[in-house]
Amino acid sequence: MKNEKIKKNFLLKSGYLQFPIKKIILTQMNSRIFAGLIIISIITIMAITAPFITWHPPLKTLVGKPFTIPNNHYLFGTDDLGRDIYSNVIYGIRTSLIVGLSSVSIAVIIGTLIGVLAGYYRGIIEDFLMRITDMTLILPQFLLALVIVAIFGQNFQNIILAIGVVSWPGIARMVRAEFLSIKERPFIEAAKAIGLSDMKIIFSEILPNAMPAVIPYIILQINAAILIEAGLGFLGIADPNVPSLGLMLNTAQQYLMNAWWMAVFPGLMLSIIVIGLNLLGDGLVEYLNPRLRKR
Amino acid sequence: MSSLIPFIIKKLLQYIPMIFAVIIITFILVHMAPGDPTFILVGEVGDEEFIKTARARLGLDKPLHERFIIYLSNVLKGDLGYSYLRSEPVAKLIVDRIPATLLLVLTAMFFSALIGIMIGTIAAARKGVLDISLSTLSLFGISIPYFWLGQIILIVFAVRLGIFPLGGMVTVGRSYQGIDYVLDVIYHLVLPVMTLAIFNLAYTTKITRGSVLEALTQDYIVTARSKGLPESRVIFRHALRNALIPVVTYIGFNTGVLLVGAILTETVFAWPGMGSLLYDSIRLRDYPVILGIFIYGSIIIIIANLIVDLLYGLLDPRIRVR
Repeated sequence: MKNEKIKKNFLLKSGYLQFPIKKIILTQMNSRIFAGLIIISIITIMAITAPFITWHPPLKTLVGKPFTIPNNHYLFGTDDLGRDIYSNVIYGIRTSLIVGLSSVSIAVIIGTLIGVLAGYYRGIIEDFLMRITDMTLILPQFLLALVIVAIFGQNFQNIILAIGVVSWPGIARMVRAEFLSIKERPFIEAAKAIGLSDMKIIFSEILPNAMPAVIPYIILQINAAILIEAGLGFLGIADPNVPSLGLMLNTAQQYLMNAWWMAVFPGLMLSIIVIGLNLLGDGLVEYLNPRLRKR
Repeated sequence: MSSLIPFIIKKLLQYIPMIFAVIIITFILVHMAPGDPTFILVGEVGDEEFIKTARARLGLDKPLHERFIIYLSNVLKGDLGYSYLRSEPVAKLIVDRIPATLLLVLTAMFFSALIGIMIGTIAAARKGVLDISLSTLSLFGISIPYFWLGQIILIVFAVRLGIFPLGGMVTVGRSYQGIDYVLDVIYHLVLPVMTLAIFNLAYTTKITRGSVLEALTQDYIVTARSKGLPESRVIFRHALRNALIPVVTYIGFNTGVLLVGAILTETVFAWPGMGSLLYDSIRLRDYPVILGIFIYGSIIIIIANLIVDLLYGLLDPRIRVR
């Protein structure tokens, strides 16, 4: 037991064993990552504890007089149907985070698969897959997601699926680029020499080493997904049974003249989420890219 | 010059298939969607007679591959169907709206490029507090959803202060002529352009800063400095000039993002472009128009990318031979 501890201590000091996460958080964390983490943590806690920090159910109409100005009881006021904007904003965070995480999970699965195939096998497969990826990258992803949801039906699952289906190309490119560089390293040659199967090399040797560089990009992609959902909601493409910050802004648009609070608060919360994720993502990109860090 | 023609052909071969890809994607989506594709291609309303002729025209009783050929040739001919709700061909509806959208996109692009390149260069040249505060500001600029920004700008400048119109492209009920008409359009253009330019400004600043920083590490900067040139000359004449080509290219490639931005901004300011058309079509479930806007929007973006790509090769001969 004691031996283990001494050994671990020695390995840590000699720099042989490192805890990257701990290192990021404690020693070299730049201020952007720090600020981003704090914002995202608070937002996540608010989303999880939504039922405890709100006192009106979201979506329920006439919990107050329609168009009530923000006051002590209705913190952010009420909307045209007398719904409490504060509850809807808090539950809206939930929706944004769920959409961001689940649609990007779909995008990560598709993107990794395509990136892996292209980066590992090269040749015709690579040309073909990368051509498709580049094409999809140029197409207006927002409009494509909009068309998909419009013709397949405006429900929550379809929105998540549509955003996932349009978000993969960037991830595929990143994964492929990482694969190309890692593939040439000696430990892969070693793995091939001892006769590991392709599957094993791809998933247990290359992929774990490729992922750290892709993670900041994934975070920024979550951001993009949240903005796509909000944009769709703003154009009226949303599931009416789910509180959505974007859809709230759509409703607010008709009453901008008299009910400023209907637009201000949902948008403010949306901006805070996006700022938090951008800080975290940008900070990580900077942290992982030594060339940028030096300055 | 000899490398120019193969370069152009190569680029055309790269971009033209993308237009086919857009049409194929649309076709697949329409036929994968639950229910009868007629409703999506023709619209949810329409009398029996209308739907019958439309079905025959679209070949919806024929097998899938024949149907695809009909669809493809229709779209390539510019026939995107007929909007029953508005009693007008879809293509005409959209083409009528394109100039208004392009006016918005190009004006915003011009102003954000002008100001963004300036701010980005200053941020790169002055290290320290100014750089950090400008970078942070541009991060906020990128993060704030522009359609919400548009709503806030509208509340502040049009509703509260009342110095700009609430929306639209011309003052309703006045028929201005000549120069008065132009001034009236500019007056209506200010707020939407401001919204879109602030969003794009942050992006342009970020790109310029990175590109100038990159240029500042080059050997010719050391040479310029050792010649004893004043720092402002080194930054603007030597670093910025070399940094400019990639910056302008990035700005061009960003057209797609700006077009989508314009579509959302138009909705806020009731600007009569493709965005407002899309917004109304979503409410009315006018599917042929929604599909048409996707196809036209994609084609505009593909053409913009092609032009930027060609110009890039024209300006920088090194790109061509690659």
